Amino acid sequence: MNEKKKIRRHMGLRASSAISNSVIHVLLVIISIIWLIPFVCIVLQSFRLELSGPVGYVIPKKWGFDNYVALLGRSDFRQWYINTFIIALVNAALQTVIVLCMSYALSRFRFKMRGALMRLMMVLGLFPGMLTMIILYRVLKDLGLTEANAVPGLILVYVASSGMGYYVSKGFFDTIPKSLDEAARVDGATRMQVLFKIILPLAKPIVIYTILTAFMAPWGDYVFARYISFENPVGMNVAVGMYKWLTLDQISSNYTMFCAGGVIVAIPVTILFLCLQRYYVEGVTGGAVKG
Amino acid sequence: MASVKLTNVKKIYDKNVVAVHDFNLEIHDKEFVVFVGPSGCGKSTTLRMIAGLEEISDGTIEIDGEVVNDLQPKDRNIAMVFQNYALYPHMTVYENIAFSLRLQKVPEDEIYDRVTRAAEILGITDYLMRKPRALSGGQRQRVAIGRAMVRDSKVFLMDEPLSNLDAKLRNQMRAEIILLRQKLDTTFVYVTHDQTEAMTLGDRIVIMKDGYIQQVGTPTEVFEMPKNLFVAGFIGAPQMNFIETELTVENGSYYVKPFGVKLPVDGEKGTALKAKQAKTGRITLGVRPEHITLTQAGANAIPCTLEVNEMMGSELHLHVYTEDGTRLVVRVPTVSLDAETRKGLVAGAKVHITFEGKVMHFFDPESTENLLN
Amino acid sequence: MKRYSDLEYLQLSKWKKLCYRLACFFRSIPTALKNLVLAVGLFFKNAALAVVREFKDIFLTFKDGDIHTKISYVFMGWGSLRRGQILRGLLFFLFEAVFIFYMVVSGGYWLSMLPSLGKVGPGKTYDPILDTYYYTYNDNSFKILLYGVLTIFFIIAFVYTWRVNVKQNKIAEDILKSGKPLKSGRDDLRSLVDDKFHKTLLALPVTGILIFTVLPIVFMILVAFTNYDGSHDGYINGLFGWQGFENFRTLFSWKGANGHSYAATFGEILTWTLIWAVFATFTNYFLGMFVAMMINKRGVRVKKLWRTILVMTIAIPQFISLLYVSKMFAKNGIVNGVLLDLGWIDQAIDFWGSTAHNGLLARALVIVINIWIGIPYLMLIATGILMNIPSDLYESAKIDGASGWKQYTKITLPYMLFITGPYLLTQFTSNMNNFNVIFLLTGGKPTNTAASWASGNVGYTDLLITWLFKITTGEEAKYYLASVVGIMVFVVVALITLIVYNRLPSVKNEEDFQ
Repeated sequence: MNEKKKIRRHMGLRASSAISNSVIHVLLVIISIIWLIPFVCIVLQSFRLELSGPVGYVIPKKWGFDNYVALLGRSDFRQWYINTFIIALVNAALQTVIVLCMSYALSRFRFKMRGALMRLMMVLGLFPGMLTMIILYRVLKDLGLTEANAVPGLILVYVASSGMGYYVSKGFFDTIPKSLDEAARVDGATRMQVLFKIILPLAKPIVIYTILTAFMAPWGDYVFARYISFENPVGMNVAVGMYKWLTLDQISSNYTMFCAGGVIVAIPVTILFLCLQRYYVEGVTGGAVKG
Repeated sequence: MASVKLTNVKKIYDKNVVAVHDFNLEIHDKEFVVFVGPSGCGKSTTLRMIAGLEEISDGTIEIDGEVVNDLQPKDRNIAMVFQNYALYPHMTVYENIAFSLRLQKVPEDEIYDRVTRAAEILGITDYLMRKPRALSGGQRQRVAIGRAMVRDSKVFLMDEPLSNLDAKLRNQMRAEIILLRQKLDTTFVYVTHDQTEAMTLGDRIVIMKDGYIQQVGTPTEVFEMPKNLFVAGFIGAPQMNFIETELTVENGSYYVKPFGVKLPVDGEKGTALKAKQAKTGRITLGVRPEHITLTQAGANAIPCTLEVNEMMGSELHLHVYTEDGTRLVVRVPTVSLDAETRKGLVAGAKVHITFEGKVMHFFDPESTENLLN
Repeated sequence: MKRYSDLEYLQLSKWKKLCYRLACFFRSIPTALKNLVLAVGLFFKNAALAVVREFKDIFLTFKDGDIHTKISYVFMGWGSLRRGQILRGLLFFLFEAVFIFYMVVSGGYWLSMLPSLGKVGPGKTYDPILDTYYYTYNDNSFKILLYGVLTIFFIIAFVYTWRVNVKQNKIAEDILKSGKPLKSGRDDLRSLVDDKFHKTLLALPVTGILIFTVLPIVFMILVAFTNYDGSHDGYINGLFGWQGFENFRTLFSWKGANGHSYAATFGEILTWTLIWAVFATFTNYFLGMFVAMMINKRGVRVKKLWRTILVMTIAIPQFISLLYVSKMFAKNGIVNGVLLDLGWIDQAIDFWGSTAHNGLLARALVIVINIWIGIPYLMLIATGILMNIPSDLYESAKIDGASGWKQYTKITLPYMLFITGPYLLTQFTSNMNNFNVIFLLTGGKPTNTAASWASGNVGYTDLLITWLFKITTGEEAKYYLASVVGIMVFVVVALITLIVYNRLPSVKNEEDFQ
């Protein structure tokens, strides 16, 4: 055949792929800008000094760390921050234990009530969780775990029903061949030793994923935390406390403070998340594939 | 080293699926027994019941005289090699082999001795510090065997250990298992779906189908005296040819009439039939491909047409069909034919075959049992 | 409707095929529902049979059992104690003792009050000397209901344990008869880390779920049948009592002020909830997949950077990002400010306040902002799945002459849909209950004045779940109504799940893409 035509066709292929790649790069840059704008705005506004309410421009006219200084000087904010941090830490530890217990049992044991238990949890999951708030509040109140003592109360609520979130890690356990368990049992291990010596070392990504999500969730919880702290600043987490700053009567004086607070809250969580991103991705994809 | 005794062992899965029916077998001390059968025949389930990995629905299993039904696998003192090796991916080869010893709290220096000795026997000393991921299939297989070897277990269970290997490695490992067996000198229970493995390895073979034992016997017994059609067809490759025909008796001598050709049942088979006073009538006649010979046209010759000629090297597999369309396979040693004859064996060629009475197997077409049982 | 055979179906045109399949889908809904009813019926039949079997077994065990077994029917654990299983026996006995103690001390009271939910309400007596009112508080409906339910749970647990106790006797007798030794307490403890390890593992999580999820849900379902609200809080302001199906009747009645009833409000919110869930789910799904494909395309540079930028929205707590974005779109927010500066508009847009076209602007904006939140998740998931699509599928498609678009519609998309079917379903239902996005972004605004008659300051972007929240936190605190709405949410979500789940290709033909 005609050589020239052939060459031209090849050139066309390369050129068109170059064009499409540059279009994609432009698109990705635009997307990235859209995604970053709110974060850039919030950081910039946290340094704004001239006005403490919301304004219609992005770049501050007067810069300074005053918002941060004021924020860290507020004992209530420090309290909220410590509260949330404690909740997150304890939650990460306990919830991980519960979730792993649940998933290992459901993945490896075939006991009589297994199917019924899984169906029950599925049905329970279809109920709006918010409904249970009223009664949990009353029960915790009777136990003395609300208002000023909201931190242990919240931990209790988060941890107690966390067993229902077993899907992702069970899905991961299911992918670890059962013959490993069997080999270990033949080698003389009890089921408990199988869990600790074989499964957990192999399930490291999903353990980290569980810890990470359990650690991150309390930072964003608003509804339960608000209900249980019940207007008592001592028991609030950052979300409940800072939400107030954006209400109609406070926004004009606390808006920039909110921005600064947001940055302080977001930075450690974000850094942790980005460091452990790999495990998060593994968990999220695995969970979606398993359903 | 121990005997294993299975008495009326049953496995019923929920929803009443019966995987193993009434399994009775006594495995003697230091015996090598192979469970063989097509997939889903219950052979692995039985092995796993011996190991304690499946619950026993009914009956008892004894190891060394002790009923082990309610014992956990770890308390049965058995070693097992799994089909997919089941090596612990996060441990090195050394740790894999040492795992069971560490669980038994054996002192570290003794562990070292035993692991290195096993590694030496299996030729994996160079890989001790590697993770299983970095090993080839054959090496992994050796590690799996090593892991089972280091323990002084009473019974050695192997669940299709060679089925993940390619053909060449499989032959090599098969030979090594025979050597290993001589070294270990313990009781072996081996599961496979491959009849060649069963024949070459086993002292005794247990042939299973649909959860029932079909026959238990030495390789020679099951080959020469298959109890029923299934065993006859399962053991031996290529498969035994089956011909629907009639058994007749004339002057006290038995005859069969495959494809209208009257063949005398002479030799020991004829004597046996006479001794049994075998009933005449419709039978399924079985003849192994290697027992059929090519011949010239004549009284005892069955005329056939050649369909496919497979050249296997040392032998030819001739796929032929008779005048009524029945397909048969004939196995001919290459050296028995001269070059001229071999050249003539092309698709469509007319050939004649025959076989002697002593190689015939007779089965009842209804019950599928061997008439000489 | 005409049923086509496979060969006839293959001859249909594209549109006809589509219509046919849609028709088949809708036709199958009644059958599916029928099957569901049948399944439920079968379940109850089996349950009844099982109960009968249990009773028979209990009777036979008593008849055939020895004296220790018989004593165990009253004195739990006796048989175990006498047969040397001290640990089990003690546990049974202890449980029985605790149960009896509890029932005598308080359980009996709660149970007896449960039918009435309290007889004597709070009282007010006038003291003429001090000229003040004395308040006395008596029965507490809330506690009666709560502890009543708890007592019933406890009774069920007791009956179950009693049954286990009876069964254990039979098992022990059988074992002894066959001449084998019984398991000792030490064996029992040892088996808790081995073959019964799951019991150890599940004990804590399941107890947690029972107390902190099942109990509250049962309680709240019961509340739907009472008149529990702010003015009937059960203790201080007044008792509450059983109402039967009254609250359901209220929700579904079309009578109401200003021509707006609860039923109309519910219908309006439900419609928006469904529309929201569809848009929120599918915009995220397709755009997320699109972004993932862009990032993963061969020749695209710094993949990791793009991914990290997107993923930041996952890392930053939603209350910060969503609240901030919500304020950005406020009337005096940055968006309006910048647009005004640029001169693109000459009057600030009231994104969250405009009620034109049922709050269309706010609704659209919520969906758009949700894309911002949701794409990163989908991007991660799609990336994981796209990498797993066997490349030989694409190679063979290329050889067959498929263009890029064809490869997408014929390979990528079916593969993705197949794998993520169940995920899409859960995504849909969780979007229906996506409290955070709506609450933090709009708080339900703009206000829907007409519908707000039906309690709780309803807005155009309110979902059922935020409405429910508003009902409980509103002035009147109509908990009973919130419960009814909650039950309805459950019914809707469960129906969708039931109908869709069994039709998902990945559930139906698991092997297709394996």
